[in-house]
Amino acid sequence: MSALPIDLALAWDSLPAMFRGLTTTLLVTVLVLAFGLVLSIPLTLARISPRRIFAWPALLFIVFFRGAPLLLLLYFVYYGFGQIPALRDGPLWIIFGSSFACAVIGLTLNHMSYMVEVVRGSLEAVPAGLTEASEALGLTPRETFTWIRLPLAMRYGLKAYQNEVVMFTKGTAVVSVITVVDLTAVANEIFELTYDPFTPMLTAAAFYWVLVNLIRVVFRALERYLNRHLTAHEDRSKPANSLPQPTPVPSSIARWKASRSLGVPAKGQAL
Amino acid sequence: MTAMIDYQRIAPAPATAPRPVAVQMTGVDKFYGRFQALSGIDLEVRKGEKIVICGPSGSGKSTLIRTINRLEPHDGGRIVVNGIELDGSPGKTQDVRLEVGMVFQQFNLFPHLTILENCILAPRLTRGLSKKAAEQRAFRYLERVQIGSQAHKYPSQLSGGQQQRVAIARALCMEPPIMLFDEPTSALDPEMIKEVLQVMEDLASDGMTMICVTHEMGFARRVATRCVFMDNGQIVEIAPTEQFFHDPRSERLREFLAQILH
Amino acid sequence: MNLFTPQFGGYIYQMAQGALVTLELFVWSFILTLIAGTAIGIITLSRNPVIQLVWRVYSSIIMGVPSLLVIFLLYYGGSAMLTAVFGASRSFDVTPFGAGMAALTIVYAAYVAELVHGAAKNLPRGQFEACSALAVKPTAAWRHVILPQLARLALPGLVNIWIIVLKDTPLVSLAGLNDLVAVSKIAAGATKEPFIFFIAACLFFILFSALTSQLAARLEVRLNRGIAKAKA
Repeated sequence: MSALPIDLALAWDSLPAMFRGLTTTLLVTVLVLAFGLVLSIPLTLARISPRRIFAWPALLFIVFFRGAPLLLLLYFVYYGFGQIPALRDGPLWIIFGSSFACAVIGLTLNHMSYMVEVVRGSLEAVPAGLTEASEALGLTPRETFTWIRLPLAMRYGLKAYQNEVVMFTKGTAVVSVITVVDLTAVANEIFELTYDPFTPMLTAAAFYWVLVNLIRVVFRALERYLNRHLTAHEDRSKPANSLPQPTPVPSSIARWKASRSLGVPAKGQAL
Repeated sequence: MTAMIDYQRIAPAPATAPRPVAVQMTGVDKFYGRFQALSGIDLEVRKGEKIVICGPSGSGKSTLIRTINRLEPHDGGRIVVNGIELDGSPGKTQDVRLEVGMVFQQFNLFPHLTILENCILAPRLTRGLSKKAAEQRAFRYLERVQIGSQAHKYPSQLSGGQQQRVAIARALCMEPPIMLFDEPTSALDPEMIKEVLQVMEDLASDGMTMICVTHEMGFARRVATRCVFMDNGQIVEIAPTEQFFHDPRSERLREFLAQILH
Repeated sequence: MNLFTPQFGGYIYQMAQGALVTLELFVWSFILTLIAGTAIGIITLSRNPVIQLVWRVYSSIIMGVPSLLVIFLLYYGGSAMLTAVFGASRSFDVTPFGAGMAALTIVYAAYVAELVHGAAKNLPRGQFEACSALAVKPTAAWRHVILPQLARLALPGLVNIWIIVLKDTPLVSLAGLNDLVAVSKIAAGATKEPFIFFIAACLFFILFSALTSQLAARLEVRLNRGIAKAKA
C-alpha cells in the first residue's frame, strides 16, 4: 500500500480539528432532524387534508423542496436571500447572514419534505381495522390517533425513518460549500494545507462511518424496545395465527430496504 | 336432516309482550359510488333478541351491521339505536357507539398493548373509569371468556381463538346493551371456532341483544330468535329460526339452505 | 436587471450547456451503476465466505460515507491512485467528470446490489422449481422467467436510486465540473439575480425527475400486468 500514503501522523495531528468539524456536523444534523420532524407533522396533515386550500400548497412545497438538489437549495438560501437589500438591513440578517443558519434552513426545508413521505407512509401502514376497532369502542378520532395510530405508526415507520436519518447525516457534508466548518470542510482545509489527497479525506470518512453506524446501533436498540410486544415469548403455547399483519412500508419511502420486512412474524409462523 | 331438529334451543321464543326496540332500520340504502350495497333495508331488533344474518358473499351482510355503529355511513333511510338516531353528527355517532359493541372477523386487537391494556383503554378514556376500576372490570370480563390468566400477555402470544375471545371481552368492558358480530369465526382454524361460539352462546343466554353475521348455521339454530337472509343488498327473508330453516318461504333461501346444509 | 440583454441570454445558453453536461454525467453514471450493481448483486448472492466478507466490508464502508467525500477522494487522489495501479511511467489526469462518474458508480452500485439481493430474496422459490419441473433450460429460465420478475420487484427501488443519483450529480460541480449547478452559481453571482438562475436550475431537476417518475409508473404498470394487487 505504499502508493496510497496514509500519513498516520498527519491523521493524528488533525484529530482536534476533525473533532471540531464533527461537532459542527452533529449540531447541524441534530437541529435539522429536530426541526424537520416537528415541522413535518403539520405539513403531512396539510398534505393529506381533504381541503384543497391546504393540500395543494403543501404538495407544491414538497415537490419543490424534495425535487431540488440539496446543493442548489443551499445556494438558494445562502446566496439568494443574502442579496435581498431589505433583508440585509433588516433584523432578519442575524439569521440569513449566518452561514450556519442558512445551512440549517436549507437542510430543514429539504428534510421535512422527505419526512412527509415517511410520516404519511407510516400512518397508512397502520391497519385500518385497528382504527375501526378503536372507533367502535367509542374512542374519539383524537384519542384513536394518540393511543393507537401514532404509537403504531412510529413502529411501522422506524425503518424508513432510520434510512432517512442516515441518508441525511451523510448529506450534511454539502454544507461545507457555504462556509460552514463541518467535518468535510475541515478535511478540505487540511488537504489545501498539505496537498495530501488521502489522509484528511479518509480520516473524515472514518468519522462519518462511525457516526452512521452509531445511528444504526441506536435505532436497532429503539426498534427492539418498541417491538417487544412482538418478541415476548414467555409462553409459547400456540403461535398466533391471525394477527393483523402490518402492511410493509411503501417502497417509495423505504428507500433501500423496500423488500425487507420489519421483523414481524408471518402468518402461522411460530415466534 | 333429522339430526338438526334436535339442536337445543337456548334463546327464548319471541316474547309476546312487546319489548323496547334496540335497533330500528327503515328503508336504509348504501352506495359505493354507483354500486348499491344496501337497498331498502327494513329491520327491527328488539331488546334481548338474537339476530343472525346470513347470505352469499357480497350480499351486504357486513355492510349492514357496519352501518349500525356508523363504521359505514348510510346514504338513505333511517337508523335508530336505542332511541338515538344516526344523523351523521359526531355527537350522535359517538353516543351510538357507546351503546353498541363490535367484534370483528380479524379481531383487531391493538398489538402494542397487553390484553389487559387492550381492555381498559376505552373504559378509561371514554367512561372515565380509574385505572383500578377499569382493571377490575377487565378481569371480570376476561374471566368470563376464560382468558383471565393471559391478561399480561401481548396479542401476538395468543392463538386466534384466544385473541377473538379477548376481542369479545374488550367490547364487553364497555358494557354495551347491544353486541354486533361480523363473521367472528371466519378467520379461525376449525378447532378454535367452538371456543368462541361457546362464549357467544353464554352471552346469548345471559340476555344480550346480539346481531351476528355468520356462516355457522348450527350456532344460528341453537341461539338465534330470528334469522335474516340477504342477497344483492336486500333482505330476502326474515323469519323466526325454526321457520327459517324448516319452512323457507322464498326460493332463493331454499336454494341457499340446500347448498350450505349438505 | 433587464431580462433580455445579450449578457443574460449568454448565461441562459451556458445554463443549457451545463444542463447537457449534467445529463451526460447522470446518464453515464447511472448506466455504469446499473451494470456494476447488478453484477455485484448477482455475484454476492453466492454463499462463498470470502465473497461475503468482501461484500460486507465494501457495502458497510460505502454506505457509511458521504458521496461527496468519495468524489473529492477520487478527484484529488485519483491520479495518484491510477499511477499506483498502472505504474509510475505514465501520468494520469483525472477530470472532474471522470472522478464524478467513478465516484457515483462506486457508491450507488452498492445500493443497486442490495436491491438485487432484496428482489432475489423475494422471488418465490417456486418459480425456479416450476422451471425445473417443466424441463426449461437454466439460461432460458433466467431470461424468460427470473429476470423479468426480478426487474419487476426491483423497479421501485431503482426509480429511487435514479432520482437520488440525479440529485447527487451537482456535487461534482464542487470538484470543478462545469455542470448546470456550477453555471447557475456563476451566473447568479455575475448578474446578481440568484433567484432566477437557482430556481431555473431547481426546476430542471424537478421536471426531469417528475417526468421519469411518470414513465417509471407506466413501466411499473406494464411489468405488473397479471399480478393481483393485495387487498388493502
